[in-house]
Amino acid sequence: MTASANLFEINPSSGVPIYRQLIEQVYALVAGERLRPGDMLPSVRQVARSAAVNPMTVSKAYSRLEAEGVVQRVRGQGMRVVKPPKTAPLRKRREQFRMLAHAAIVRARQLGLNESQIREVLNEVTDAILQEHT
Amino acid sequence: MTTLPLDIRQLEKTFGSKRVLRGVDLQLPAGTVLGLLGRNGCGKTTLIKCALGLLRPTAGQATVLGDDAWHLSAESKARLGYVPQEVVSYPWMRVRQVIAYTAAFYPTWNQPLVDALCRRWQLPLEDRVGPLSVGQLQTLGIVLALGHEPELLVLDEPVASLDPSARRQFLRVLLDILDEADAAGNRRRSILFSTHITSDVERVASQVAILQDGKIRFHGELGELKDRVKRLRITAPADLPASFSVPDALDVEIDGSVATVSVNNFSDRLVGELRETWNVEITVHDLNLEEIFVEMHGG
Repeated sequence: MTASANLFEINPSSGVPIYRQLIEQVYALVAGERLRPGDMLPSVRQVARSAAVNPMTVSKAYSRLEAEGVVQRVRGQGMRVVKPPKTAPLRKRREQFRMLAHAAIVRARQLGLNESQIREVLNEVTDAILQEHT
Repeated sequence: MTTLPLDIRQLEKTFGSKRVLRGVDLQLPAGTVLGLLGRNGCGKTTLIKCALGLLRPTAGQATVLGDDAWHLSAESKARLGYVPQEVVSYPWMRVRQVIAYTAAFYPTWNQPLVDALCRRWQLPLEDRVGPLSVGQLQTLGIVLALGHEPELLVLDEPVASLDPSARRQFLRVLLDILDEADAAGNRRRSILFSTHITSDVERVASQVAILQDGKIRFHGELGELKDRVKRLRITAPADLPASFSVPDALDVEIDGSVATVSVNNFSDRLVGELRETWNVEITVHDLNLEEIFVEMHGG
């Protein structure tokens, strides 16, 4: 089936380029199984129209996704989701998480928390989230 | 070889002793929507007027659809649509009459499109042009520029006088125009618009050009610009040394052990090198076009 063009949540005024937002969202939708192998992405035109963004930008995102092997161009039909994308290498994922954690801990210091308090909160949050998912 | 809709080379324009344009190079590929950004008074309007042959450049050249801008042929003019910053029309005519009068100049005129736009933008067809508001006048200017379905559409601050909802509608129309051209296949329309409203550029432009100090400071894809310009928050274990520096930084602010640096050439490698050289923690922050624009103009 063809996914609806409202699938994407585009924020043009974000620091993240629109094409990158689209790529990330396709990855996320596939990971969350809202897009399954065999599904068609909404057409470039539909996405451009519904989000009021330039079609060339949408088409750029689709080409990247094709190059990354997430979707396949089907002649006359559009882009088909082929398989769950490979996850980024561990090093890269660790780096992403590290940046998020860094920002959080800097903020914790600004809030006047000391080291043991910070570690305590981190443990609490980790436990709560990990339990929820097991 | 296909001719560029707009090709500007080493363009200079001097008014008296004031050098407004100091060697502008700008090429607009077919099918592109280019947002021209720049501070008020930086020369956007002068550039557009020189590019279209409305002002004579001091040096350099501009070609429109392959035709020298200063000697534009009637054929090229028929393929060009232009909306000036301040639309001047005929105050004694009714809106409907101005449209009919303009239509008569063009061999191709898409009246159904014009009717549809007038309805969408609620242009009062029976009112006289004189008492129209600035926004209505600008809307009329846009309708008149779109009626002959130009291949190249140039708009100088097209949305400055429109309210937010009319602006959004206008952006949609721009995209529709591109879309129609795509569907038809061969005739690929190109649009250049100047503005200082960065959020409009972010939405519809595929490329952005930044005019600064009489030259094009950046011209390329908007996504590329956002990938390149980032803000780094750098934290060192102790106060940063006086020798601390970052190559090609747009802006550096150091406060003890913390530095905020905007860079023009972001890469993972740069971050790695900075980490190793200075033994620091670095977080990377994305910047939107407005923030990038401010950083490029020295904060």
